[in-house]
Amino acid sequence: MTMGDFMPNQGTVTLESRALTKTYFSTDPPTQVLGGIDLTVREGEFVVIMGASGSGKSTLLYSISGMDRPTSGNVLLEGRELTSLDDAEMAGVRLTRMGFVFQQAHFLSNLDVRDNILLPALKAAPKEKDAAIARVDALMERFGIAHVKDHGITQVSGGQLQRASICRALAGEPSILFADEPTGALNSSMSEEVMNALTDVHSDGTTVVMVTHDPGCAVRGDRVIYLRDGLLVDSRELGTWSAEQATQREDDLLAWLRDLGF
Amino acid sequence: MIKPESLYSRYAVNDLVRNKGVNAALLVILVLSAFLMATGAMVIERLAGSVGQLFAQAQPPHFLQMHKGDYDERALEQFAADRPEIDAWLIEEMLGYDSASLAWVRPATGESGDLTESLIDNLFVTQNEEFDFLIDESGQIAQPAQGAVYAPVAYQQKFGLEAGDELTVRTDDGPYALRIEGFVRDSQMASSLSSSTRFLVSAEDFDGLESAGGASPEIIAEYRLTDAGGASDFQAAYESDPALPTNGPAVTDQQIRIIHTISDGLVALALVFVSLLLIVIALLNLRFVIRGTLEDEVREIGAMKAVGLPDKAITGLYLSKYSVMTLVACVLGGLLAVVATNLLTRSVQVNYAEAPLGVATFLVPVLALAAVYVIVVAICRRVLGAVRKIEVVNALVHGSTLDEKQAARRAKRQARWVRRTSLTSSAGDINLRLALLDLRAEGGQWVLVPVVFFLTAVLITLPTNVLSTFESPRIVTYMGAPETDLRADVQYQEDVDGVQEALVAAMRGDERLTDVSTYANLQYQVEGEEGPEILRVEIGDYSGATVRFTDGGAPEAGQIALSALNADKYGVATGDELTIRRDGEQVTVQVSGVYQDVTATGYTAKMQGEVSQGAEAYVVYAAVAEGVDPAVVAAGLGEQFPTTVVLPMREYVRDTFSNMTNAFRNAAWLSLVFGVGVAVLITSLFLKLRLTRDRSKMGVLTAVGFSASEIVAQVRIKTLVVVVAGTVLGVVFSATAGESLVGGLLALSGLGITQLSFIPQPWLVYVLYPLVLAGAGYLGVVLLTRGIRSADKSMWLK
Ligand SMILES: Nc1ncnc2c1ncn2[C@@H]1O[C@H](COP(=O)(O)OP(=O)(O)OP(=O)(O)O)[C@@H](O)[C@H]1O
Ligand SMILES: [Mg+2]
Repeated sequence: MTMGDFMPNQGTVTLESRALTKTYFSTDPPTQVLGGIDLTVREGEFVVIMGASGSGKSTLLYSISGMDRPTSGNVLLEGRELTSLDDAEMAGVRLTRMGFVFQQAHFLSNLDVRDNILLPALKAAPKEKDAAIARVDALMERFGIAHVKDHGITQVSGGQLQRASICRALAGEPSILFADEPTGALNSSMSEEVMNALTDVHSDGTTVVMVTHDPGCAVRGDRVIYLRDGLLVDSRELGTWSAEQATQREDDLLAWLRDLGF
Repeated sequence: MIKPESLYSRYAVNDLVRNKGVNAALLVILVLSAFLMATGAMVIERLAGSVGQLFAQAQPPHFLQMHKGDYDERALEQFAADRPEIDAWLIEEMLGYDSASLAWVRPATGESGDLTESLIDNLFVTQNEEFDFLIDESGQIAQPAQGAVYAPVAYQQKFGLEAGDELTVRTDDGPYALRIEGFVRDSQMASSLSSSTRFLVSAEDFDGLESAGGASPEIIAEYRLTDAGGASDFQAAYESDPALPTNGPAVTDQQIRIIHTISDGLVALALVFVSLLLIVIALLNLRFVIRGTLEDEVREIGAMKAVGLPDKAITGLYLSKYSVMTLVACVLGGLLAVVATNLLTRSVQVNYAEAPLGVATFLVPVLALAAVYVIVVAICRRVLGAVRKIEVVNALVHGSTLDEKQAARRAKRQARWVRRTSLTSSAGDINLRLALLDLRAEGGQWVLVPVVFFLTAVLITLPTNVLSTFESPRIVTYMGAPETDLRADVQYQEDVDGVQEALVAAMRGDERLTDVSTYANLQYQVEGEEGPEILRVEIGDYSGATVRFTDGGAPEAGQIALSALNADKYGVATGDELTIRRDGEQVTVQVSGVYQDVTATGYTAKMQGEVSQGAEAYVVYAAVAEGVDPAVVAAGLGEQFPTTVVLPMREYVRDTFSNMTNAFRNAAWLSLVFGVGVAVLITSLFLKLRLTRDRSKMGVLTAVGFSASEIVAQVRIKTLVVVVAGTVLGVVFSATAGESLVGGLLALSGLGITQLSFIPQPWLVYVLYPLVLAGAGYLGVVLLTRGIRSADKSMWLK
């Protein structure tokens, strides 16, 4: 395996970045955070991005998802060049093709949990309100938060909120889901709940790109890539997740990470 | 150990650098408030000083009665001898000329002109010996030499006269030339509400002018009393003596003072009013900014508390910044006010007197500014009291300014709110729905904007409404006059009956004029509290809805309508009876109604009838035919009847209220400019802080697929809704309660207006102004949301 070759071997390409760089000019001198990233994500894949704090993981995630504009390079989603889209088109892509889950669960405090989850679906198809409601209710049922649907967002636990985040991300039936340290603010049992949910989503065929610090979470992925100082330095195929092989996968991953100096 | 002072200054400097925009906006508002407050205070002090100084130098009478024509000098002497309260009295003889009889040339350049444009009587007098002096520009009692004349300072400004110019008076013997020696200030007639003005000549020239003929002789009987407060009782006593001369206006020194203060004090009062509004706005802003700062810096505050810094020290940290800011604003505002006051009081200083600089000159503005400072700092301290309530753990761990109980309460409130509302229950554009939902949920946090726009709307519409009311031809209904095109005054001359007859004949014969109607002024006597008093009654035809009555209606035979001040004075209302007397005949009439009047100091009455003989004066009204310019007709008639003042109604109105309207025109412009500026400033300031606080909300919306344009649209919708709500409320308030407010002030001022209804320019005030104001708010939101499109959205979620 050569440096820069982080291609998986099979399936159609969903997301692709080429020579992606990001420099913040607000600092003096400007900070180059991403130094030219070539990344390919295949349909239905679960890719985990790891790396030391400050290595540029979040920046990469936001750049490939169109939340930020990269300084140079290209991003293609399903063959469509994202960097050339204008703001409204990009918003449309986020609405219909992407879902987001963040470390801090960001919600609108003036809406109850279900309305928060419904929001993107209502926006995408205002006419199909009933279908959206049915879908959202089913999602909440599936992830075990149906009983808190008319709660305010300050009234539910962190794990419930993060599962609500996942519901919201899925409500628009996206083809790809981005998650930035979705378990970073949770205790271990809540983390477990959230990771089970994500694994579930993935097993439905949704592509997942997740940033995490936690090897225990990273083992859920099909492939782990490692970022150092804004460059992709290595990648590791883990294969499809199964609970029985959890310990073995984790040992394998930890050994690899140790070699990378994690 | 950290020294608190260095900590304070370090904090202040850091904060100033970090929040340049917000701090600058706050400072501007504070400076404006301080500036207007100080200017208002200084103008009032200067004005009072100038008027007081002139009164001290000129010793005006406490009561005066003007009279034209013959009079009984013995009766005046007898009256004076019987009245121990008289300190001194005099009869000032005057020679009256109309403005067309006066012309000037400047020998040095050959420039010349006449004074026709002046509509008031020109009275030539000699200097008095005991009191009521005419004062020259250096504050001395002017003493003209033979051949010299002192002209009124008002004319100096109006016609650009200079010392050394030659003034010629048209007499029956030909032109009588005098050299302008200087200009005099007149304590009685300084205000432009006065209907006459005085020229000062030597005794020799006075005799010369008198024997040359062509002037109408007038007198003023003037009295100084041992007790100035007794002027109105004295007036009653004077008027109850039928032998005394009474055909001209009678004035007490109180009225002179009121007129001075009304004309020039209004500007000052308007300034103080505006500044009070601004201070309210500034305080609302400070409260908003401070609360926001505490929320933003709650972790720092928690840390300071955790290391054991006492609440007082933490409060001091913030308070020191705002105190310094307010102090700077007061100093800057005060300095600006000195400049503005000099500009604003220039004409006052010329017309009245150079006000002496005293302790009060410095103390008044300093006290006004100190009041601003104390109020602002006290409110800041109160708002900062919230620091005490912040709990270390909540602050450090949850970044919350709330304690456990408050947080629980808030969560419960929020839960109740979200259960009541639903995104799915309403239809329509999702952005609009979200914006309105937000507003309803967070209304309290937005309240600053509608309150400011409410105040600003009041601020810009009130003065304009007052201005348009006093500029409108319809204001004549406040002058006890019908709404028509032309007005002719026949008064103060030997043969009023004859002139009136000829004038009416000429007007009836003129096909450009229609509806010629005559009203005669007769003096009746009424039993007042102190004995008989004079009641000026206008007799004519009131059958055709000519005058607006605030109560009751037009007088029919055997009835009388009274002006509001007279009704009040005699304590009668519609339906009551009043006994009046003339030439020994006594009749009892019923009060048919009450109307508002500002002419003749507001004390008038009206009876139905027709009188063409023996009246003291006549007023003739006429309408013009389609397409005829009343000014042309008026000029023609004026030429034909030189002793009669013929004016287009519009001009008559403008003249009567010119001082008032000038003051309000300035106030209206000033408040429009300030109001719109403040509106833009506050909207920007508010949104700046609001958007910072809403970052994570905008981040969520971006992540779930809202475009920047949609997020901007939501902010604009919210802003426009609150801006429009505030503006509409403000306009409604000023049209309703504002009207009563101004009306109440005017009623108090004793002008004769008891019930003011605005005569607005609806398109301007109810359409254009609100649009301009809403536009200002929109400009603010556009400026502040510009950056949203280009921002890195991920920043909002970090
Ligand atoms: N807006 C910004 N302006 C300047 N520098 C920034 C900005 N955002 C991030 N950085 C810098 O870019 C670098 C990478 O940041 P990023 O958040 O992508 O790291 P990360 O790998 O996600 O770290 P962590 O594990 O702590 O979340 C950091 O050094 C950070 O300081
Ligand atoms: Mg990160």
